[in-house]
Amino acid sequence: MSLLVQSSSSRLGRTRPEDAVASPRGTRRLAWRGLSILLDRRTLRANLLLLALVLAASLAYLCLGEQILSPADVLAALQGTGDDLSTFVVDALRLPRLGAALATGAAFALAGCLMQTLAANRLATPGIIGIDNGATAFAVASVVGLGVGLAPPAMALAGAATATALTFGLALGGGTQGYRFIVAGIGVGAVFGALTNLLLARVAIDVANAAYPWTVGSLSARPAGAVWTLAVGLAIGLPVAMALGRSLSLMGFSESVARSLGTRLGRRRAQVLSTSVVLTGLAVAVAGPVGMVGLLGPELARHLASKRSVPVLASALSGALIMVLADLAGRLMLSPLEIPVGIVTAVVGGPWLLWILIRPRSHGVA
Amino acid sequence: MIASAERRRLAGQGLTLAGLLLLACLASLLWGAGDVGAERALAVLAGHGDEEARFVVGTLRGSRTLVGLAVGMALGVAGALLQAVSRNPLAEPGLLGVSAGAAFAVAIALLLGTSAATLRVGVAQLGALLGCLCVLGVARFRGLGNDPVRLVLAGAAFTGLLSALTTLLLLFDQRAADEIRFWVVGSLSGRRLEDLLAVLPSLAVAAAITLVIARPLAALALGERLAAGLGHHPGRVRLLVILVVALLVGGATAIAGPIAFVGLVVPFAARALAGPDIRRSLWLCLLLGPLMVIIADVISRRLVAPSELPLGVLTALCGAPVLIAVVRRRRLPML
Repeated sequence: MSLLVQSSSSRLGRTRPEDAVASPRGTRRLAWRGLSILLDRRTLRANLLLLALVLAASLAYLCLGEQILSPADVLAALQGTGDDLSTFVVDALRLPRLGAALATGAAFALAGCLMQTLAANRLATPGIIGIDNGATAFAVASVVGLGVGLAPPAMALAGAATATALTFGLALGGGTQGYRFIVAGIGVGAVFGALTNLLLARVAIDVANAAYPWTVGSLSARPAGAVWTLAVGLAIGLPVAMALGRSLSLMGFSESVARSLGTRLGRRRAQVLSTSVVLTGLAVAVAGPVGMVGLLGPELARHLASKRSVPVLASALSGALIMVLADLAGRLMLSPLEIPVGIVTAVVGGPWLLWILIRPRSHGVA
Repeated sequence: MIASAERRRLAGQGLTLAGLLLLACLASLLWGAGDVGAERALAVLAGHGDEEARFVVGTLRGSRTLVGLAVGMALGVAGALLQAVSRNPLAEPGLLGVSAGAAFAVAIALLLGTSAATLRVGVAQLGALLGCLCVLGVARFRGLGNDPVRLVLAGAAFTGLLSALTTLLLLFDQRAADEIRFWVVGSLSGRRLEDLLAVLPSLAVAAAITLVIARPLAALALGERLAAGLGHHPGRVRLLVILVVALLVGGATAIAGPIAFVGLVVPFAARALAGPDIRRSLWLCLLLGPLMVIIADVISRRLVAPSELPLGVLTALCGAPVLIAVVRRRRLPML
């Protein structure tokens, strides 16, 4: 609260006569000719903080491991002037994996934030309502050779879309509000989880073993093509989600209020839903179901960023941060053994999910 | 008092189900993943047949069928009791994390170096008891128990956490991992008669307690005050039910691994057949539970022959639609 008062007084101190349109408290209006944009100071600060943390975590990710490198070595290797060993470790081993961690984390958290806003329920993340499991089942089908000749990303997209259609279709009577929608999603997720096991049981044991770390969520078996597909998807999805930001905050109001303020609610919902589903499918194709990031990322973002709007960018940054830290912990904790990142996030996210359920005032988003 | 016409209807249902169960057991003896087909197995049942077929049918499939009977009965009855005591049609040992608690406890015990079969049963039952107390404790906390659907959500979160922890523990210890990997998915394959014998005493104790508490439990369905007015002690009954559920689920999990959804589907079907009175539906659960488990087991052997499918996969495939159907109803039936 004190933060708001302070920033508003500083704004008043700097008011100039030509500032015809007053910006709301705690925000800053940047104008250029006819265009103007409102920057929320708290959100801006949160995003900068998260960006700094992501960079620091990334550096730590590149330094630490079985082969410990100094930051200077890593920077030299990145510029192409390091020695052979550090260049190999950084460029060939850690950098691609770091890229995959950043991209999947951002995609999962962004998809989670969008889905939570759409359903007006902070528990309605793609991981919980079964979309991750649907994408996994279809992608596994493609990996074990039952796909109709489609690459894992395409199959994962199809799976995510199928699971979403099932969950939303089955919950049609009750709407997306409330917990029944989520339990219907849990049921859909259970069916797809069983289908994944069914597929794995049908193939040779070495194929199944190769697919196993991927079914619990791991970055060690990432297909290279899938990472680039995800990067492209994220490059499109993130600006789209940020452009949808205003409609997203309106979705927090009742339907009639949002409509009367001029939102084309049906179209916006379809856009939000499809962005979320595409991001989830592409991310699952890389790392498997690491759905907890979709819950934890937006939670962290909501704590840091302003409550005024839906923290789209902050969610993506938080997700990337959480994914990098979780995978780093998974690599280091039992080294040389590797804990799949899906297990790390589940161990951290499970208690958090229970806490959200148990504590009072847990209905709705924030 | 149950009217005589209804008594006759109930007996008819019971006989039909018993006949179906007999057929399922026969199918379980006749068909398997191996190359001993129905004809060779029939020859064994008729009293002759070659050495290999006699071993496969008598020892492997026979003990497997018996284990399936015990596991099905335990899970079906445990589901019915848990639903009655929490007055929640979605309360299911697998969904609420009771099975996951048992599996987690066994993983810890294996990690600490035990592998005796009897000890594993005790440990699994202790884990189930703790899981049961956790979930039902949370349910009484902050009125979470008043909303059946939210309770399931909490159970799913609990299950996810425990299974992640179990996987984490298995990563620590390769030996334990090899021992437990095929057990943790839930299956009846390769279970021996000794495994069953280790569980039977606790199942018998659970059955005895169930006979005593069936009547108070039926009174509890009328409401806590009314049950107390009829001379029962709701608190004591609830504690006994939790104990019985822990014994049953822990025992079943110790033999077959965590198998979800049996405790949801079976009481659901039993109530549809026999009505809401638990004294009647419990008897049907006793037949429907093994029926579901054994049929699922036979299908799991045939579907991907010559390899086998985990039993939990099939129970999830037929259980999840029931879960969705229950949730989709406009008004959840309160028990």
